[in-house]
Amino acid sequence: MKFTANTRIGIACGIAASVFTVFSARLIHLHVAKHEEYALLAAKKHNTRQVIHAKRGMILDRNGEILAANLPVRTLVADASRMKKPEALAALVSKHLSLDEKEVLEKFSTGKKYIVLKREVPEESAMALLNEMQKQNLRGVFSEQDAVRIYPNGEVLGHILGFLNHEGKGVQGVELSMESQLVGKDGYRFIERDRVGREIVLYRGLEEEPEHGKNVRLTIDMGLQSILEEELDAAYKDLKPETANAVLVDPKTGAVLAMACRPCFNPNEPGKAQPEQMKNRAIIDMVEPGSTFKIVVAAGALNEGKVDEKTTIFCENGRFAYGGRILKDHHGYGHMDVHEILVKSSNIGSAKMALMMGGDKFYEYVRRFGFGERLGIELPGEIPGLVHPPTRWDKLTITRMPMGHSIAVTPLQITMGMAVIANGGHLMAPRIVQSVEKENGEVVLKKEPTVMREVVPEKTAHYVSQALIGVTEPGGTAAFARVNGFQVAGKTGTAQKVSPHGGYAAGKYVVSFVGYMPAEDPKFVLLVMVDDAKIASNLNYGGLVAAPIFSRIAERAARHLDLTPTMPPIPLQPAPIASTSKTEERSN
Amino acid sequence: MNTELTTPTNSNPIQIGKILCVSAIVAVLLGVGLSFVNIKNQQFAIGEQIRQTERKIQQVRAENDVLLAKVTELTSRPALQARVKSGYIAVVNITGDKIARLTPPVQATEVGTLRTAFNEVGRQ
Repeated sequence: MKFTANTRIGIACGIAASVFTVFSARLIHLHVAKHEEYALLAAKKHNTRQVIHAKRGMILDRNGEILAANLPVRTLVADASRMKKPEALAALVSKHLSLDEKEVLEKFSTGKKYIVLKREVPEESAMALLNEMQKQNLRGVFSEQDAVRIYPNGEVLGHILGFLNHEGKGVQGVELSMESQLVGKDGYRFIERDRVGREIVLYRGLEEEPEHGKNVRLTIDMGLQSILEEELDAAYKDLKPETANAVLVDPKTGAVLAMACRPCFNPNEPGKAQPEQMKNRAIIDMVEPGSTFKIVVAAGALNEGKVDEKTTIFCENGRFAYGGRILKDHHGYGHMDVHEILVKSSNIGSAKMALMMGGDKFYEYVRRFGFGERLGIELPGEIPGLVHPPTRWDKLTITRMPMGHSIAVTPLQITMGMAVIANGGHLMAPRIVQSVEKENGEVVLKKEPTVMREVVPEKTAHYVSQALIGVTEPGGTAAFARVNGFQVAGKTGTAQKVSPHGGYAAGKYVVSFVGYMPAEDPKFVLLVMVDDAKIASNLNYGGLVAAPIFSRIAERAARHLDLTPTMPPIPLQPAPIASTSKTEERSN
Repeated sequence: MNTELTTPTNSNPIQIGKILCVSAIVAVLLGVGLSFVNIKNQQFAIGEQIRQTERKIQQVRAENDVLLAKVTELTSRPALQARVKSGYIAVVNITGDKIARLTPPVQATEVGTLRTAFNEVGRQ
């Protein structure tokens, strides 16, 4: 069979066309049908997912003073597969990073693609090394952005701020409680690199911008905080107590203006601190409040109409037999009204008011003042304290609880309880976070003052307040708490320490003073609590130990807040001589 | 005599028109190809510039953050207090007559101070 030329050409073209059609079909199949699969495969081989780290938000005080910030550092990484002159590079790296040259060279010789040379390298050192490498035409070392958290005030406010762990997550304090706001969301970018490791911008893939963490503004006023810490430090050195706490609160808003504990720790070096130093005792320690608790029974009895301004209670001349035990007062008192009971801090008077109220009603007021519940401050680990219901009371409890025994509360609860009297009867929710803001200052969350409940009417609070002014006047238990130019109201507390082996520890006392100023229009409530001060037992009273510290802090706080003095100057008195007699029931 | 010109059947004349046409198409394709390569090169160069600029911005930001951290540390209260203690800076009391008040203060005491902590004396 003989084909003509045209036929032969036609056949050849047909075969070629068929072959190319098959190829084309295959190409279309690969490019269209298998696109996703192969694009992913190619991306896996050539693309790198570059993480763009989000910055953690800063923590600020109420005036914008920076309390926690980020210091940019770099992690230097080597890729041994991209090196040309490992010896020269090792010499340069060891010089700039203060590393052993031999060790560096050994690491390079492994040929690994990701070798961490050093972490937390200061920005300047890292840049100097990279610039020098560029000059000498060396390659194979890269830097990754990182940051370390710094707390410029060191130990000041350490318990409130907390610190981060090695993964950059909050461990304690605001760093933990506000973690979700502070931490940002890392961004990413798919990139391709050329053979020397440089990114090929043209082939940039999918990209997502990082979302930086938000700044958290606290209610803390660093001016007041510094005053508080300074005075607490001085007291801690002088009195050598086991612990010392102070809390300063705005009674009208519940904003915590300052809070400090001793012992303390430096959040820049959390590894050097003992667990005991890290406890924020203002919210996680329980103590028997002592006589500061008498405001609860006085307010309750007045509000329930069991007593009024004119009612007098017989205080048994200092010895009251009840439930098979003798309840004693510091001095023997006869008939006293509620005002005098608070001023003289009579245990018997307080116990009798509680008896008049009855256990259930008294317990109701204890709870209404916020004792036995978490107040919801934005700090981790807050405890509710220990308040047993009347069904679990023994016969003596109703006479012991009014004077702050048989109950355990946190220093913050005592402060907020006193704030109820200071602000006219409202229990405010304590808050330490004022707002959450974006990097540009836009407020995304603002915490408003919250009234938890109305505890007593304003009239009752006012009456108790008048009695508390008497406490700091001559004849009261806390004359040392006075501040020149201002009227101070407050209450002392002295409670024997509970022994871990049961019962009370002999000769060990938790003394406190909680008060507010100016009494007629309180700007702050301040609690000072000193646990087991190393001084003579007959001097270890709230009025002699904690009240003077209160006075010093309050005076400086008044200056800081620029409060105008409203009272004529007080003639200075010699220090009252503490009684050397020791009674079983200490009442101030 | 046959004077008519006839085209030989086996001749293969050069078709200038077609050659020019194909050459023009090839030239256009070449031009397009070269332009593509040139544009691609420019894109790479711009990409490199973008990378360098981004790096510079990142570096400036990092330096700014380092400086902010340093300023924060140097102006922190403990740092300032240490400077006051070392005598490098001094804190001078502002006297009452230098303060303009919206509300008049109470009378100064006989010693001339408006407010004195009760226990500042006791502490000495």
